[in-house]
Amino acid sequence: MQGVSHIRVERLTKHYESREGRVLALALIDLAVDEGEFVVIVGPSGCGKSTLLYILGGFLRPDTGVVEVAGRPVTAPGVDRGVVFQEYALFPWLTVAENIAYGLSTTGTPKGERAAVVERFVRMIGLEGFENRYPRELSGGMKQRVAIARTLAYDPQILLLDEPLGALDAQTREVMQDELLRIWDATKKTVVMVTHDVNEAVYLAQRVLVMSRRPGRMIDEFRVQVDRRQGREAVMLSDEFNGIRNKVWLAVRRQAVAAAR
Amino acid sequence: MITLARRWGSLAALLMVWEIAVVTRAVDPDFLPAVHTIAAALWDLVSAGEIWINLLASTYRALVGLAIGTAVGVAVGLLMATSRAANGFFGPLVAMTYSLPKASLVPLFILWFGIGDTTNMLTVFLATLLPVVVSTYHGVKAVPQVLVWSAQAMGTPRAQILRRILIPASLLSILTGMRIALGFSWVLTISAEMIAAKTGIGKLIFLYGENGSYAYMFAGILAIVAVAYAADRAMVWLMHAALHWHDSADLAGEH
Repeated sequence: MQGVSHIRVERLTKHYESREGRVLALALIDLAVDEGEFVVIVGPSGCGKSTLLYILGGFLRPDTGVVEVAGRPVTAPGVDRGVVFQEYALFPWLTVAENIAYGLSTTGTPKGERAAVVERFVRMIGLEGFENRYPRELSGGMKQRVAIARTLAYDPQILLLDEPLGALDAQTREVMQDELLRIWDATKKTVVMVTHDVNEAVYLAQRVLVMSRRPGRMIDEFRVQVDRRQGREAVMLSDEFNGIRNKVWLAVRRQAVAAAR
Repeated sequence: MITLARRWGSLAALLMVWEIAVVTRAVDPDFLPAVHTIAAALWDLVSAGEIWINLLASTYRALVGLAIGTAVGVAVGLLMATSRAANGFFGPLVAMTYSLPKASLVPLFILWFGIGDTTNMLTVFLATLLPVVVSTYHGVKAVPQVLVWSAQAMGTPRAQILRRILIPASLLSILTGMRIALGFSWVLTISAEMIAAKTGIGKLIFLYGENGSYAYMFAGILAIVAVAYAADRAMVWLMHAALHWHDSADLAGEH
């Protein structure tokens, strides 16, 4: 797949209307993500990183620029791009099993096969026995796992993750990060994730992109080459990890400080 | 036993104070009949069968008017929430007529449709329509954007978004509007019947009131209150059943 990016964004700009008038959210963004790559975008809050993800999802249209997935321009949401939202966005009137089966019903998985797929993903996220519970009966961590399972179940090639672990406590968050790595390792999907947690970004990503304060631009890029098979403790205590982490932290901090002035 | 006391205690206390006030002549019984007199009058109406035929007439008018008002109200509310053109068309009409007392139109309806079911039902229809339109509209407008987006991301065709996402997500609001409309339906049925019907509890209350048979008048009021209360309980039960998945499902059974 050399030469052809799975996701390609060129010279993208996006405005939005606010009470103070027209605000430039994203200024001339370039982004290229290879097939199977795990890219994490970090930046200060309000830098437009979620907006960028929504444009990749096809929910918002850019004002100018090119947005392509697998060589085709993005004009609408599509089942090739699975999205996990910050607020889970589970359907509260459907049970855990029905939520996970939702994408199977719309993407044409035969009825007879759906139950088996649902069962497999329920087991993967460790929610056996909760199949018939409604989202309101679940903890934040459980809801998040269902949201991820629901998106993986219909097998999109690309995962767009909008601070998917933001609402979790620190311990659950680490467990879910390792879960995400495991899933990515097993499925080799193309992942674009947005977060404001620098540790999380460096721990998960093959490549970390740093966005500026608003209007958002890509200002820095760090390749992370650590052997993740050695486990969380070894990775997070390694010089390699901490070296990159510090650089990313400093880059984000400078933007956040400048934004606060 | 304690919940029973909490639920009915205030009502029992009111009736007791009422009864004592009248029996001790602190209040003139010509102005306010005693509770036991009203009970006797109610028994009279029940055993003579007079109450049933009138209750049936009123309930029929209230529920038919409500059913049509609700059906049209949900449809208009959904249309307004999903189409800018429909919102532009219906919005001003709804805003203008929302605070209009619908009972004031009864004389006009008598002119058009005469005295009887049509006039009564039309009044109920108009009164129940607007709360359902407004609550449906706001319910759909309040559906979080990410629910629609995630449905679209998972391949839901545009034509199915309404049925699969917007309606279930706004169901609490829609049903709450229906419950308010149900309450209005009794108010408007009784008001309309007083001047535009030959039967019905409203007519019965009106006639006994004019004749000065206040115990019988109160008996009529009591009967319609009982029916309206039962209908509201049924509505709450229905909401509870339909919204068992909802965050506020535990609250739906209260009051």
